[in-house]
Amino acid sequence: MKCPKCQRPVDHEAESCYSCGYSEVVAASTCGSNVVLLNRIHDAAHCLRKHERDDLALTLDQLELKFPQMLFCVYLGTLPSHLSLSELGFWLLNHGQVKGAEYARPNENAVLILVDMNTKQIGVSMGYFAETLITEEDAYRALMAARPNLVNSEYGEALERIFLRLGKTLDRKGRQLRKLTREQLHAGVAGTKNPVLDLPNHIAPHLVARVVARAEPIEKPLKSA
Amino acid sequence: MRRFSAILVLLTMLPLPVRAAKVELPTWEASESETYYLGGGLWPKSLIPDAAAAAQDPGAASGLAPGVAPDGTILPAAPGFEIVGPPAPGAQQFYGPQGPVDGSEATPGNRPAVIENPDGTFVIPQEIVEEEAYEPLPPLEGELSDLYFTHAPVDFLIDPQRLLTEQKSNDIKRFLEFHSDESSFRIFVMAIGETQKIPDHIDIEALHKKWFSDEPTVLMLYYREQPQLTRLVFNESVRNSLPDSVFDRILQNTLREGGVTELAPDQVEKMAIELSIQLYWLSKLMEHENKDDQARAANSTIHELVASSDAPELLREYAPGIFIEDTSKVISLVFTLIVVIGGLALIGLIGWGILAWKGRENISGQPLLFPDFKISPRLGGEFSGGGFVGMSFELGDSSA
Repeated sequence: MKCPKCQRPVDHEAESCYSCGYSEVVAASTCGSNVVLLNRIHDAAHCLRKHERDDLALTLDQLELKFPQMLFCVYLGTLPSHLSLSELGFWLLNHGQVKGAEYARPNENAVLILVDMNTKQIGVSMGYFAETLITEEDAYRALMAARPNLVNSEYGEALERIFLRLGKTLDRKGRQLRKLTREQLHAGVAGTKNPVLDLPNHIAPHLVARVVARAEPIEKPLKSA
Repeated sequence: MRRFSAILVLLTMLPLPVRAAKVELPTWEASESETYYLGGGLWPKSLIPDAAAAAQDPGAASGLAPGVAPDGTILPAAPGFEIVGPPAPGAQQFYGPQGPVDGSEATPGNRPAVIENPDGTFVIPQEIVEEEAYEPLPPLEGELSDLYFTHAPVDFLIDPQRLLTEQKSNDIKRFLEFHSDESSFRIFVMAIGETQKIPDHIDIEALHKKWFSDEPTVLMLYYREQPQLTRLVFNESVRNSLPDSVFDRILQNTLREGGVTELAPDQVEKMAIELSIQLYWLSKLMEHENKDDQARAANSTIHELVASSDAPELLREYAPGIFIEDTSKVISLVFTLIVVIGGLALIGLIGWGILAWKGRENISGQPLLFPDFKISPRLGGEFSGGGFVGMSFELGDSSA
């Protein structure tokens, strides 16, 4: 994972960025510590037509039916120059409350797509749970698939396409996880071997080496046997 | 008003004589002052006064120029008469029909003159068309008979009297040679005159047996421009092997082809070609061993028989009807092509279907539940640790 501010790698248990010291506290001091109410399709830039909004809402409905735990939402706006998309996504997911989202869809299960009409940038911010299911590569591929539509200012179709591609990724991931037993799943979550989930590597290499060294004596007799 | 206009006219007319006196008019020279007659039969002779006298003394009557007839033709100069001075330019040229040299009247277009009857009616004389007549042919006797019947023929076309044209004879010979190479039957064509008769002491069948007993041969005896008199002589073995109806049909078909045209060379050519076709059918017929097959084949048409694959182009040119294209190869080729194209299309369709299935973007099926994971928070975020993937869609900016 990377720091939303400086884009440097961040340890998955770090309280703040080792490079720039960015954290949720800094974000709250910049953007506010209050909770904001978001629509599922929050078009602050007013660049979606009604039929685009309706089609996108229909797509989001289908996705929510398919993935009852996941929260899908969009924010389109014109950001100030001092605020980046990643910072806004980080702050919105921690301080935003999506209208109509049930208790079963917490923000940590959210997939939030942000579009900055000023800088012509688009990004996908994910909660903790969502980022375990969707890798950065999959998210990037989904964004790239919608690039022609974005270039042609077909924002509604672009957002639909991104969500559908992410839905496919989630579907594939769900089928993979269904095949795993509980032990394998926990082992994957622990990340000791054959990680099932795409969790970020620990930034401190000595910790990883220690875990591996601890696991090796147990495996050796099994191999010889 | 009238007075004013009259004065104005007078004033304008007054200087005219003065102007006319100053203009120099051309004068005729002596050499060009002679009279010229255009000729061309513009005027009927009856309108020329004393035409006979004018012919005898050109120039005396009606002021004709010497040496020029009333109809405009240039007459030979009379002895002792010389044209004084230079010849008039263009006097020797004559642009029109000249009459006959002997002085008789010529009808326009060389058409015969219409004869007028006393009762006022006209009679158009019948034109005598010279018909091309053959020279009477000598009877087949003596040396001529020897040329026909003494020795076995070398060429396939026996025409010592050259009754056919040279070009056609060469063509027919060439065709008959070609036919003999390709067919089991040989064809000999003997051309004789329409008035000639085979001598009584000559037995054609005996000659055929004598000459062509070693190989199946057909001798076609052709009378010039009398195709109905044509005789076909087959080998005895061939004739005994098949019913007479077969040979009658061959003869009928051959005569029918010969009756299409009137010229002897064309008749021979067409009959030879038709005979070749019939012999091809006959040879096929003889290949059948038992009588049932022969009867069946006799009832079938020749077009049901497929020509050999190596059918030469020459026979195709001469007798295209004999050849039926072997369509099995074409059909198999077309079938193979269709199968290949269909296979490729099917493979493409399957591939497209797989790609479409893989690339489908609709989300359907049963709801999917993920197992719960406990993820430790980072950067102090309660729900998100700042996981973000971004991309620019600015034109010319492909940075992520």
